[in-house]
Amino acid sequence: MSAGKRVRPLPETVTVTIDGTPGQAWAGQSVTAVLVSAGIWSLRRNPVNGQLRGPFCGMGVCLECEVTIDGRPGSRSCTEHVTDGMDIRTATHG
Amino acid sequence: MADVMTESETDVAVVGGGPAGLHAALVLARGGLSVTLIDESDTLGGQYYKRRAEQLAVAFGDFRPRGTELIREVRDAGVVCRTGTLVWGAEDGGRTLFTSDVRTGVLGRVRARATVAATGAYERSLPFPGWTLPGVVTPGLALHLATMDRVPVGSRVVLAGTGPFLLPVACALLEAGAGIEALAELNHPYRPRPSAVAGALRQPARLAEAARYLLTLARHGVRVEQGARVLAAYGDTQVTAVDIAGADGTVRRVETDALCVGFGFRPSTELPRLLGCRTQPDRTGTEQLPVVDADGATSVDGLYVAGDCAGIAGVHAAGVRGQLAARAILRRLAPGRTPVRVAGLRRRARALDRFAALADRLYPLPAEAVADIPDATQVCRCEGVTAGEIRQAVATGWNDLHGAKAATRAGMGPCQGRECGHIVAALARRDEAEGFAARMPIRPLPMAATVEGQEVR
Repeated sequence: MSAGKRVRPLPETVTVTIDGTPGQAWAGQSVTAVLVSAGIWSLRRNPVNGQLRGPFCGMGVCLECEVTIDGRPGSRSCTEHVTDGMDIRTATHG
Repeated sequence: MADVMTESETDVAVVGGGPAGLHAALVLARGGLSVTLIDESDTLGGQYYKRRAEQLAVAFGDFRPRGTELIREVRDAGVVCRTGTLVWGAEDGGRTLFTSDVRTGVLGRVRARATVAATGAYERSLPFPGWTLPGVVTPGLALHLATMDRVPVGSRVVLAGTGPFLLPVACALLEAGAGIEALAELNHPYRPRPSAVAGALRQPARLAEAARYLLTLARHGVRVEQGARVLAAYGDTQVTAVDIAGADGTVRRVETDALCVGFGFRPSTELPRLLGCRTQPDRTGTEQLPVVDADGATSVDGLYVAGDCAGIAGVHAAGVRGQLAARAILRRLAPGRTPVRVAGLRRRARALDRFAALADRLYPLPAEAVADIPDATQVCRCEGVTAGEIRQAVATGWNDLHGAKAATRAGMGPCQGRECGHIVAALARRDEAEGFAARMPIRPLPMAATVEGQEVR
C-alpha cells in the first residue's frame, strides 16, 4: 500500500455545533460520521412509539437519521456533509 | 399541474449515477445523443463508486479511482449531470420525469425520448428483537463511515447476516481501526459443495477477491463463523450487547458498541414499476423484477433498466448492462451512426448473471428466518408495527400484502416500505412474490416542494 505511506496533509477541520455544543470535525465528513464520532447515536424519537432511533441505512432510504441542520428539519444526516459553522440539532427529548 | 420551475429536454434521461447509469450515459453521449444523468446524491458514483469528499480525498487519497475516471469520462463526453436532484415521479412511459432539488425542493420536469432506470439497490434487512436500537446499523452504513469519512462505526463491532458483502465491510472496518468482536455468516458459503465451486471457478477474479478478503481477516485474527446468526440485541439507549447463536445451537452474549446486520440487497424498482412495466419474481422468489430482453428493454416502450435495479448482480454486471441498454437505445434513436457490437457484451452479461445466481445459492435467506421473527419484534420501523400484529391481521383475513398494510399501517411510513416490504410480504404471503405498489412521490419530497405556491399533483 504505497499510497498509505505517502505523507499527506491532515484534512482541514471545521467547527460545528451539536445541540448547542461546539466541536471539531473534518470538512467534508458526513453529518452522521461527526455525530457517531462524538458518541451521539440517538438522533430522534419514533413519532409513533417514542423509541430512540439513530442512523441505520446510511444511504438515504430509511430516514431514521433525520436531524435539523441549520434550521432545516428533516435533514438526513447520512447524506449531508459538514461545513464550517453548521448547526446540528437532534430531537431526542420527550 | 404544478408550477414547474425548471424544464429541460434531452434525447435520453438516465436515472441513477452508479456504475450502470455512468456506463449507459457514457456510451449514449459518445454515440452522439444528448444525455441527462440524474442522481439524488451530491456526487456521481452511486454506492460502489461513491466519492470521498474533496477535502478528505486530499488527505486520504481517492477511493476506487476507476470511479473517478469513469465520472470524468462521462462529464467529458458532454453528459448533463444533474446531481442533488431526485426523481419523484414519471409518466408517459418515462418520457416525462418529475424532479425535485434535494435541498431547495424546487420542482422540475425532464422530457426524454428514452429513459434508463439505473436506480440500483438497497440493503435487505431482517428484523430481530432490538434491531431498532441506535447503534444497530446496516453493513453499508459501517462501510460508508469507514471508507468515506474515515470513522470506525465502533470499537467492538459485531458484523452479521449473510452475503459476500460482509467480507469487504469487515476489511474496511479493520482498516479504519475498528475491532471486530464477531463475524456471523448465516450460511456456509466458504466450504461450499463442489458443484458451487465449479461455478465460481468460471469467475476467477471474483474468487480471488473473496480469497483476499478472507486472508486479510485471518491475518487480523477475525474468524468467519458460518451458520451463526444474531438472535437479539440489547441496550438501554443504544446497543451494548448481542446474542449470537452458533451453528451448533449454542448461544453466547457478546458485548458490542455497533452491530451491523445485512442480508444482501433489494433491487430499487419503484420507477419502472410506477410506469407499469411487466414484472416477474426474481430467482429467489422474493422480489418482483422488471421483465426485460437481453438489453434491458422493459415492456414499456422506450423504458430500459440496467444494473441492480434489473436484479442484483453487482458492479461488473451493472456496467455491462448499462452499456447494453445504451447500445439498444442508440440503435433506435441514432441508427446508422453506431457500430453494433453487442454479442460479446451479451455473453459477458449472461456469464455474470450465472455468477449472481451462484451467489443466490450460496447466501440464501431461508424462509424460516421470517417465520422465526418473534411476535413482539417490530417489522415496520417507521410505524412501529410488530410481526405479531401483522400475523394477526393475516389470520383475521387481511391475508395479502395490501390488506395487511391497510389493517396495520405496516409500510405506510416515510421509508415507504423499503425496509419492511419484503418481510410484510413474506408474513402475508399466499404464494407469489408481492411488493408494495409504487406510487408518486416514489421518493420523499422536501416540504418546500409542496408549499411556496407550488402544488404537487
